[in-house]
Amino acid sequence: MMRRRTFLHLLLLLCAWTTLPAMAHKASDSYLVLQVNGREVAGQWDVALRDIDFAIGLDANGDGDITWGEVKARNADIAAWALGRLKLERGGDCSLRATELLVDDHTDGAYAVLRLAGTCPSDAPMLALSYRLLFDIDQLHRGLLRLAVDGVSHTSVLGPDSGVLNVKAGETSRRAQFGQYLVEGVFHIWIGFDHVLFLLSLLLPAVLVHESRRWTGVRSFRTALTEVLWVVTAFTVAHSITLSIAALQIVELPSRLVESAIAASVALAAANNLWPVVERRRWLVAFGFGLIHGFGFASVLTELGLPKDALVLSLLGFNVGVEVGQLVIVACFLPAAYLLRNTPLYRKGVFVGGSILTLLVALVWLAERVFNLRLIGA
Amino acid sequence: MTAIHRIKPSLSASTEIFQPALAVFALTAACLAPLQPLAAPRLPTDPAEVLERLPMRPGDATARELAGLRAAVIRAAKEAPADPLPATRLAGRYYELAIARGDPRYIGYADAVMAPFAKSRSPEVLAIRGQLRQARHDFDGALADFAGALEVDPQFASAHAWRGAIYLVQANYAAARQECDALLKLDRATLYGGCIGLVFAYSGQMEAGSAALQRALDETRDPGNRLWLLTRLGEVAAWRGQLDEAEKHYRAALALGLDDGYLLAAWSDFLLDQQRPAEVVKWLAGWETSDGLLLRLALAETALKQPAAKTHVQALADRFAAAKVRGDTTHRAEEARYLLHLAGDPAAALTVAVANYQVQREPRDARVLLEASIATKDAGAAQPARDWLRSSGFEDAYLRRLGSASAQ
Repeated sequence: MMRRRTFLHLLLLLCAWTTLPAMAHKASDSYLVLQVNGREVAGQWDVALRDIDFAIGLDANGDGDITWGEVKARNADIAAWALGRLKLERGGDCSLRATELLVDDHTDGAYAVLRLAGTCPSDAPMLALSYRLLFDIDQLHRGLLRLAVDGVSHTSVLGPDSGVLNVKAGETSRRAQFGQYLVEGVFHIWIGFDHVLFLLSLLLPAVLVHESRRWTGVRSFRTALTEVLWVVTAFTVAHSITLSIAALQIVELPSRLVESAIAASVALAAANNLWPVVERRRWLVAFGFGLIHGFGFASVLTELGLPKDALVLSLLGFNVGVEVGQLVIVACFLPAAYLLRNTPLYRKGVFVGGSILTLLVALVWLAERVFNLRLIGA
Repeated sequence: MTAIHRIKPSLSASTEIFQPALAVFALTAACLAPLQPLAAPRLPTDPAEVLERLPMRPGDATARELAGLRAAVIRAAKEAPADPLPATRLAGRYYELAIARGDPRYIGYADAVMAPFAKSRSPEVLAIRGQLRQARHDFDGALADFAGALEVDPQFASAHAWRGAIYLVQANYAAARQECDALLKLDRATLYGGCIGLVFAYSGQMEAGSAALQRALDETRDPGNRLWLLTRLGEVAAWRGQLDEAEKHYRAALALGLDDGYLLAAWSDFLLDQQRPAEVVKWLAGWETSDGLLLRLALAETALKQPAAKTHVQALADRFAAAKVRGDTTHRAEEARYLLHLAGDPAAALTVAVANYQVQREPRDARVLLEASIATKDAGAAQPARDWLRSSGFEDAYLRRLGSASAQ
């Protein structure tokens, strides 16, 4: 049969493939996300409907269309087929079950989404995952795995020759985990405009002195640096305290309240630059409002999820990350501000103009956040 | 680790101030994006909602044929487990579907069907395995498989044909020519004509190549073969600068009325080179599912400043990202063109083009490498393409100009 084909035809096929990978759809992938915290397992598994159809048949009426009704009717079969090809071990076989069947769309079509839950015999450091979905019928299939063990992420591409993954939740991963939370902390301060604006509002006057109702530049860098250190340290100490007690769930505040208070703190800090009330002990302001900002940081940490067995480590990592992020901002701000402190550009443009802008932004935030509160209350 | 999802009130003033931080964040989010589901999972409410259209219905002729072939494989597994022929038939059919429909899932199916015969030395098994390997761009593995088939059966003409075709992609014209000669010795005149025509065309004797392809065309009535020969004749004419001649060949091929991705790609590239993007948009309507054709469509739409360009460029970005996540490198030639001409990232384009040229060395692979090296002013990176231009004597004037420009 093969030999009857002509060279030309074969060559056509070859060229069509090599020069036009022309893949209408990509090859088959499934997306497996698993979180293992101690003995508890939660996760989500997206498998293409087309692949499920090829394996166990979904098109009950044979019309070439897969409807939600046809998928729902095979719910139990789909779960049994998929979970029979996934094995998770931590101190023995973990029980896995599908709690919910949903659907989602990826670049190459519709996927069944299995929400997973389960329990492992122990929280032993060694964890093994064995994946063999579809390999028996499609050797190009790959499982794209995102596995978080006690909060430490691992990613892997699982194939016919690499379907087994061994993970050790040990020392090295602890370090990685610390690093991960540290990075999150840095990012959070950078993208948290409200925190940055608050900090900058307190830092802007650090290179200036308010004397006889006029602002003039400080005489030495040392003076400015001391002021900045007081402010930053006070802010840090304060938000570390509240971040910790909120993350450990000792005190919990409604997030709308916290967010609104943060907006108010930014507005007040900016207003204080324009109409000075607190001049000498700005670190006290930093400390007081820092307590509120700490609750704001905590809400992020709650969303990220703190691994139970490495709570303190992750908290510390996040906190250090926030500090590192702050220090970078200070390191960029302070030298420039000091050099420019006696120019009109700084005093009028940056200090007054920046404070006005910050005040306006903060008032809009405040309005938005309070408005949301009313919406929810109604 | 998920990105931070906390929603921030956004104001343009504040976003401008913190653009660098935003950029870093966006970059991180972009890196994580391929692993994220596209949309939130949902629970449909209507049982009649159509979620997916399958490529074929169970009652279709192709589906019935596949079912028959599958049944034969299952039967053979029970009754004659050592007989690989039913499996090679099914795998061969899957391979054809992969090409015709541009769907790599069928390659994976074929691989799985052949898995039980991994140790077989039968020429048929080795030949299908070679085809599947070349489809995954494992050219050396494929060459070895076809060589193995020839050891058992020296008369196996198609194994020579495949080896010739792979050597052409690798720009090893001396080796390709040996395979052509073997076809001549086996008295397969048509196969020989197609083989030697391309060897001539790729190695500096376009006129002779053109003549050989034309002779082969005169000899065959099979529409599929004619389409392929006309397409290649069109390409050779375009390289020679005979634009009217090229268009005549392409139009004759298109007039056969067969769907063919390679022809459409070559014709679109010709039109794009002639600054005729509007025609590309017309011809490629409905071919968005093919990555290679979507690339040409997006290039044409971008040239015309059409609104659809944005969506299509994004779709390409998504597909290349998805391929990257699974470690798929068979799209690199297209990806390099996308990065260079659509994403505006010549440095990344050069990296991908260099990697691609280590595997595939056809004229179009050389071209994107030269273009990327000119765009990045990195003359050294294109040395392999200039070496090829010098050693092959390839006669395309445009490519030769690129070669000189890239050396400066």
